[in-house]
Amino acid sequence: MATETGPRVGGDGAFASVGLGGGRRLRRGAAGVAAFLLVWHAVSLTQDPFVLPSPIAVGEAFASELASGDMIAALSQSVRHWIPGTAVGTGLGVAAGVAFAWSRVLDDLTAPLVRTLRPVPPLALIGFAIAWFGINDAGAAFIIAVGAFWINFYAAYGAVEGVSEDLLDVGRTLGVRGDLDAVRSIVLPASMPGIMTGIRTGLGRCWMLVVASEIFGVPGVGREIIRASNNLRVDRAIAYILVLSLMFLLVDVAFRAVERRVLAWRA
Amino acid sequence: MAGVNDDGSAGDDGTAGGPGAPRSPAAASVALDGVGKTYDADGDGDPVRALDDVSFSVADGEFVCLVGPSGCGKTTLFRVVAGLTEATDGRVLLDGTEVTAPTTDMGVVFQEYHLFPWLTVEENVGFGLERSDRSAAERDRRVDEMLDLVGLAEFRDAYPKSLSGGMKQRVAIARALAVDPDLLLMDEPFGAVDAQTREMLQRELLDVWASTGKTVLFVTHDVAEAVTLADRVVVMAAEPGRVREVVDVDVERPRERGDAAFAEYVGRVRELIGAHP
Repeated sequence: MATETGPRVGGDGAFASVGLGGGRRLRRGAAGVAAFLLVWHAVSLTQDPFVLPSPIAVGEAFASELASGDMIAALSQSVRHWIPGTAVGTGLGVAAGVAFAWSRVLDDLTAPLVRTLRPVPPLALIGFAIAWFGINDAGAAFIIAVGAFWINFYAAYGAVEGVSEDLLDVGRTLGVRGDLDAVRSIVLPASMPGIMTGIRTGLGRCWMLVVASEIFGVPGVGREIIRASNNLRVDRAIAYILVLSLMFLLVDVAFRAVERRVLAWRA
Repeated sequence: MAGVNDDGSAGDDGTAGGPGAPRSPAAASVALDGVGKTYDADGDGDPVRALDDVSFSVADGEFVCLVGPSGCGKTTLFRVVAGLTEATDGRVLLDGTEVTAPTTDMGVVFQEYHLFPWLTVEENVGFGLERSDRSAAERDRRVDEMLDLVGLAEFRDAYPKSLSGGMKQRVAIARALAVDPDLLLMDEPFGAVDAQTREMLQRELLDVWASTGKTVLFVTHDVAEAVTLADRVVVMAAEPGRVREVVDVDVERPRERGDAAFAEYVGRVRELIGAHP
């Protein structure tokens, strides 16, 4: 079980060090950001604002978009795509991943379909989003859901495949009978670390997909980024990109807290 | 009990079948009747005969150890008795009923503990009880009893990750005993702990056995461990895995390793394992 969640171990180590050498880590982080802003500013002095605006211009754009209420409006529209898209895609992805990895019959039945559909990028499905849902919140949510689905499908599938046969044997000797009981009492908890990693990856990926999901005209943060870029208002574009980053950060920190509780049993 | 002597056809002086023989098979808690297992019997590749005509029985309340050289099919036999692997021939009877699938009438303990890492000690012990028809209060009482029995009451809320190997195996034993099985079936349960812990666990297991009166079938590769624990030692031979001889250990408990009789039994079983037919 340790192997399937390998990538998380490093993350945990980094997180733990926040607790230990937290002050030093924060100071270094702040220094890194300051150095980056300085270099950015220096370079921006030699460029036109539509190529690279200065960080100060971006800050001003951010403040004015926030003050006008446009930013909050765009964000609340995007949240209406992100939440249902992420929730539905994650739920279906985890359910399908667990079911197909557990059931040989389902796996055999779906393997060709899965391999055909898997490489299709969510962006390529915009035509279907419009045809099936229209240029609206549901259409945008659909694009996000497709992205969330595959990440969670493969994470859950891999996690369930890695569940130890020995634990299932132990369960059987202790009275576990039938697929439902085995999945509920052993397979799901045993694969939870892998499933959680998938959900967390998906949450971040879905913020990226907000831009793609609004490319066909649905209003939101993504739409604002595209529009500002088209108008050569790079400062506004970057201000809205920062909104996505902040939302990702917020959700990620919150999810990490949930994950630590759910996986308290792990080392 | 005919099976006991089947393989001792050379007429070893053995005590095989001694006190075990008068017991009628019907009273036996476990009876193996001509159990055989062939892997890859479907023909693509050479089929391997892992077990051949294994017959012996374990009486109600008896402590029997199964020893043999590596590759003699001990673990396969353990899995067949547990109902986890299907035998190709013969059958296993638990109190007269054929075992075809895992049953909660058997408490099974594996070498690598296999605790559920997401459950606390208490929840691990209660896992099987959750599936019984006992009331919640009864289940709690039973878990308390089991934790006391293995001396882990103060660790009830700990997760397995924070336990030592010996403690994990105590939890596994408590978990197996919680549902009050007729038989405790153990596969090299003390193979993964250090020598000191192992001796302590052996003493504890004998105490548990004495206080619960369970029938125990205990698989090990450690001859001294078998002679320390068992009423009878079933010695297996390899290729194919079969019963070579059944040795009665006629030494009062607690048994001392320095004892002349103890050493004699160990020597005898070692000789049986080492000897080739």
